[in-house]
Amino acid sequence: MADDIKDKVKTDVPTVTFTMDGQEVTVAKGTTILEAARSIGIHIPTFCWHPKLKPVGSCRMCYVEIEKWPKLAVSCVTEATDGMIVHTESDKVKRGRRATLEFLLLNHPLDCPTCDQGGECELQNLTFEHGIDDSRFDFQKNRFTSDTDNTVFDDKRIGPEIILNRNRCILCYRCVRANKEAFGEYDLGVYERGNIAEINAAPGQQVNSPFSGNLPEICPVGALTSVDWRYKMRVWLAGKTPSICPYSSSGSNILIYTDDNKNLIRRVTSRCNDDIDDGWLSDITRYGYQIANSEERLQTPLIKKEGKQVEATWDEALEVICNRFKEITEKKGKVCIGGLISPSLDNASLYCSSKLFRTVFNNNNIDFRTDYRMLPNKPDSYFGMLCNRSFRITDIDDSDVIVVLGSDLIREHHNEYLRIRKAVNFNNARVFSLNPYSVKSADVAQAEIVYNIGTDEIILVAIGLAAIEMGLVEQGLAQGFKEKVKLGSLAEATEVCGVSSDDVKLVARALAGDGKVSVIVGELITRSHGREAVASALFNLSRLLGIDKKGQMAVLARYANSRGAEKLGLLPIPTGAQVEMLKAMWGKFPDAEPQTTDAMLALMHKEEISGGLVLGGNPIMLYPDRQFITEGLEKLDFLVACDLFESETTELADVVLPMSSWAEYEGSYVNLEGCNQVACQAIKHIGQSKPAFEIIRLIAEKIGTSLFESDEQMATEIEQLLSCEPDNATPDNFVDVLPLSEEVDPDFPIPLCICDDPHHTGALTQKAPSLTNFTGEAYIEMSPDLAARLEVSEGQPVRVESPVGKIVMPVKVSKHIDNDVVIIPRNFSQIRVTSLLMRKKRVDRVRITKVDE
Amino acid sequence: MFYSPVRTNAAEVAQSNRLHLFRYVEDPEQVKVEKFEEHGGYVAWKKVLAEMEPSQVIEEVKNSGLRGRGGAGFPTGLKWSFVPKDSPKPRYLCCNADESEPGTCKDRVLMERDPHAIIEGMAIASYAIGCHQMFIYIRGEFAHCADCMEKAMKEAYEHGHLGKNIHGSGFDLDMIVHTGGGAYICGEETSLLNSIEGERGMSRIRPPFPAIEGLYSCPTIVNNVESLASVPHIINHGAGWYKSLGTEKSCGSKIFSLSGHVKQPGNYEVELGFSLKKLIYDKDYGGGILGDKKLKGVIPGGSSTPFLTPDMIDIKLDYESLVEGGSMLGSGAVIVFHEDTCIVWVIKRLIRFYRHESCGKCTPCREGTAWLEELINRIEAGRGKPGDVEKVEEICGNILGHTVCPLGDAAVMPILSTLKLWRDEWQYHIDHGKCMVKTDFEFK
Amino acid sequence: MKEVIKAVGHVFIKMPQGLLVTLKHLFKKPVTLDYPRKKKPMMPRYRGRHYLERYDDGSERCVCCGLCAAACPADAIYMEPEEGEHGERRAKVYEINLLRCIFCGFCEEACPEEAIFLGQEYEFAADKRNSFLWTKEDMLVPHPRKDNPFKKIIRRVRKVYGVTEQ
Repeated sequence: MADDIKDKVKTDVPTVTFTMDGQEVTVAKGTTILEAARSIGIHIPTFCWHPKLKPVGSCRMCYVEIEKWPKLAVSCVTEATDGMIVHTESDKVKRGRRATLEFLLLNHPLDCPTCDQGGECELQNLTFEHGIDDSRFDFQKNRFTSDTDNTVFDDKRIGPEIILNRNRCILCYRCVRANKEAFGEYDLGVYERGNIAEINAAPGQQVNSPFSGNLPEICPVGALTSVDWRYKMRVWLAGKTPSICPYSSSGSNILIYTDDNKNLIRRVTSRCNDDIDDGWLSDITRYGYQIANSEERLQTPLIKKEGKQVEATWDEALEVICNRFKEITEKKGKVCIGGLISPSLDNASLYCSSKLFRTVFNNNNIDFRTDYRMLPNKPDSYFGMLCNRSFRITDIDDSDVIVVLGSDLIREHHNEYLRIRKAVNFNNARVFSLNPYSVKSADVAQAEIVYNIGTDEIILVAIGLAAIEMGLVEQGLAQGFKEKVKLGSLAEATEVCGVSSDDVKLVARALAGDGKVSVIVGELITRSHGREAVASALFNLSRLLGIDKKGQMAVLARYANSRGAEKLGLLPIPTGAQVEMLKAMWGKFPDAEPQTTDAMLALMHKEEISGGLVLGGNPIMLYPDRQFITEGLEKLDFLVACDLFESETTELADVVLPMSSWAEYEGSYVNLEGCNQVACQAIKHIGQSKPAFEIIRLIAEKIGTSLFESDEQMATEIEQLLSCEPDNATPDNFVDVLPLSEEVDPDFPIPLCICDDPHHTGALTQKAPSLTNFTGEAYIEMSPDLAARLEVSEGQPVRVESPVGKIVMPVKVSKHIDNDVVIIPRNFSQIRVTSLLMRKKRVDRVRITKVDE
Repeated sequence: MFYSPVRTNAAEVAQSNRLHLFRYVEDPEQVKVEKFEEHGGYVAWKKVLAEMEPSQVIEEVKNSGLRGRGGAGFPTGLKWSFVPKDSPKPRYLCCNADESEPGTCKDRVLMERDPHAIIEGMAIASYAIGCHQMFIYIRGEFAHCADCMEKAMKEAYEHGHLGKNIHGSGFDLDMIVHTGGGAYICGEETSLLNSIEGERGMSRIRPPFPAIEGLYSCPTIVNNVESLASVPHIINHGAGWYKSLGTEKSCGSKIFSLSGHVKQPGNYEVELGFSLKKLIYDKDYGGGILGDKKLKGVIPGGSSTPFLTPDMIDIKLDYESLVEGGSMLGSGAVIVFHEDTCIVWVIKRLIRFYRHESCGKCTPCREGTAWLEELINRIEAGRGKPGDVEKVEEICGNILGHTVCPLGDAAVMPILSTLKLWRDEWQYHIDHGKCMVKTDFEFK
Repeated sequence: MKEVIKAVGHVFIKMPQGLLVTLKHLFKKPVTLDYPRKKKPMMPRYRGRHYLERYDDGSERCVCCGLCAAACPADAIYMEPEEGEHGERRAKVYEINLLRCIFCGFCEEACPEEAIFLGQEYEFAADKRNSFLWTKEDMLVPHPRKDNPFKKIIRRVRKVYGVTEQ
């Protein structure tokens, strides 16, 4: 339905026809001459114009001549009108452009040899193109010297990863505009005016937003350069490989620049894909590649001998694995082996692991959701239905109402975060943010609703009740909704959530309207074990207000290939269709009891599972009950861990296998929309590392069964599985909402949320030096009010205690938080955050005390 | 009460039944609302509220032939009628009191000595366009004017001329006095709007024009102080009366700020079409050239307009005649130079101003004015190199018409005009390293 | 008989004539040089070994911009930049493979900092392949070059921040 509306809009747009360089052009009304020129392949040079920003027409480079116009027109802001006759390459135009270039070069230093932008500098290219080889300017150039340190090149570090050289700046204002329009950040600004105007960081501040890496990329000259790329190599010497971001679930399209002599990745830039990343990369995507270059990478297989891990060859390692697995299966049966697979791996690796467990070990002990708590062991849950709904990133752009539930988008889904800003800026979308604590991403929201933690499903019920109370829904539907809800009135529901009913009514009114809707359910819900209740409440709300007919609602997949893992049946309980398909392909499907991560760990405790395979990821660091998983893995007779680095998990392993990073082999990844994208091989394997799928196939071969007859077979099987489209099913009727409430232990009053830091994701990014420059250690984020009550200030250490653990960490005071929820990032292994958590709790609560020094 | 010590022709205006703006400016009590009302103030406002429809007001102003006094001379009534009638958005009125054009000081006198006239004009304009929130944007350096306006605004509120349900008509109107940060560019209407919004004072791309999408993306009308101050008189005396003033196409009276080498610099309200010669030489106005020297040149409409030479002294001061004479009426700042003025030095002062005030948005203006300043400084100091004059001319040509707002044009137009009129003087600087004019006063 | 007389005549007349030429050359100044004891003076524009130049204050002129490597038709130059202690760009590794180098002088022409130039020396013989790989240290040596008249002609004003008046 949504598509129909879109097509209608597209065809109804009036067009204009005009002539450009003798060519007849027909474009939609409102198109600028520049856009029209680009669409037919005529290149008009620009500096200030950027496809993703609103035009300002300040650089005066994009002149065109329009017949009967007295002056040259600036094509980036001039709309094409019927019958215009445009010349883009006339002498007058060339003179105008030449004059602009001359002006720009007046104060531009001639330090191209030392400038990192050299070779990809738009000013350099245009100067060359227009043949300006001498300057008529015979005065001293303006010079801004660095005021922080006395460097010879006037470079100034304005952020952890950004270097500013104001001399080179041509004041196109792209950076400031992108910061403001696209990212909603105000840490970079213009100071002074006229020819001494300068771009600079706000006084006393650093440019350290999670999107700061985009600023050097959009700078047309070398005024903003990144520390990461500084003096590394000349851009024309770098090899370029198209790839996919291995961290973001939307699969940002990236271009990897490699130094082929040294087999290193040098940097990552955007490979603008309008449907997915819109040309902006988060810093995680941009700097996360550094893990592939890390010196700490595992180079050879390790085998535990007499309690110590010693280096070994692949043959030895595989031999040990094969023998021990055989031993265990002979002794205890094949159900005794379990696998925890990282959802950041490519399709082939995920599929091979699934096939290894289901055909060779003949069991269903496999799961990729290692950071969820209390996963149900039964099929067809409402949450599963919600996960299996389609979602399109571009549909956010033209949504009228966007509801974000339980997600701080800037911490988990950077691309979607920017999309929402774009929808607000360009489409006047109304955003509603429903979270247990106030989030940064809510600054564009029309209403931000902060509800009591742990009442996620009740806030959805409250929205439904508000709609009923305002008479926005049919009586019959209202009756059905109310029957399934344990709460009688809106007042009661808002009381439980601790929100004002006016705000809830605002959301209800917006959702009940005719506009296109996007509902995004985030990590705070999916990882908690209230997910089932939320899913059922959301389905009820959707039935009540017709959300699924008006747009999309989805749980966003969290990791690079989470969606792929679901589609390839890596879950312990694949959907019925998947089972049928797998049965047809393999000729068999194990009927063993399916075991989720939790169940597997419980069985490890009971020593019913005694062999384990951990493929990528670092479950010990991420699983929300550190003691439980550590003890479980310790009790295993034999554990194989494959990873890029030594980690908490590999320490426990009997055999450690070095795995290749995503850049070292060609792999495909399915993003959260279900779009399958290929990441090409950029560098050669580091050390003796091997891709995950190859490791699995080698293990299978060693055990005696070859998983595939040929590579083609693997490819076709994967393709077949991926061709399954999400069924978008909804329950047939209103379903029961079973709210989960918990007793609050008065000793541990403060609710705790475990999130990713905006500059980190998962366990790997802490190995990327650029990202640790932004945030290098764990902190506990709290409201200024709570900090005042605890009598602590920014940076002071506090003791955080839960019934099961105790850690000490510094405080970070965040002004935007206004309730007592505290947030700890989980990305740093020095501080064992997950040791505070208890898997059976819906909301973790802690006690915080000041550490006396 | 502090007055700016500017000479005005208030005495003459008071006797005339045609001139009106300066009638009471020499009365120190005029700033008080009681005195203003006694002098017939706020009568037009009450009349508009009681008797007239907004469209009638617009029609009246249209018929009067009132044209914008800020520089461009766009018909005021026509501008008001551009505000979309059916827009659901609020509308705004901004009074442009960012008077920074070198040589112009007319608005300042009005703000200091007759603030209620401006408020009344703004109120009528607001009523005409259906706006309930009006702004007056006062130049940052005019702190005293802002004080005067604030006081007057307070009094107007107290006497029920502003606020809710004004004079029982059901019309609400609020006013905000907004001071700028001291930038010439904010006198340009889109920059002014940016500045009120709290953004950098940089001009916006047009279209959309402010009348369609201005302040906070809502329809906005920006008018000069003098234009708005004329509006109550039009309402009081009728469009026909106003149209009978001045010439056929340039109706009404206008304040000219006379400065430079004249014996009696000051603000003089005269009807449009007044003779330039009379303005400079008449004993009631300029009183002749300082030291009874010969006239060298006149800038007729503020520093952004081209020069006039002595042979054009008989020109009439109205929009059309000045355009015919190769210049513009601009803001009505007549700057007079006598024979001992070094024209390169004049340009040096002007370009210094424009270089300092360029906002930095468009490349040609930002970089070009700075380059011009360096070059002209060099020429003026006698260190010019052969070809420098041609270079100046070419740079001016590259700036002219290549910027978003008119500042770039304003900076180079006087230069181009002097290059045309007194090129030999420029060349003399290059050739001889000194000025051909013997000056009897120190140039600083 | 006639032939015999002719042959005898050759022996006694022509042969001494020929030998006379040789004899004459015995007393002439030799064209060859007593290399390696004596060396031939090279022409000023001869392109021999590479030198890297320093500024007067001792810092390296080379900023490792990569233009020489880009200009090199034989692909003989390899370099890796690094950040110096004052934030300046400089070469961490700068190598010229003299076995590949064809001494065309393009690197010298391409250099925007006038850091590299080709000197007069031409003796590179070595007994190991590795010793033909000249590093930065080999080239950053004091050089005997005086002001080369040709250098002055091609030298342009390359001040980064423009020239000051007077």
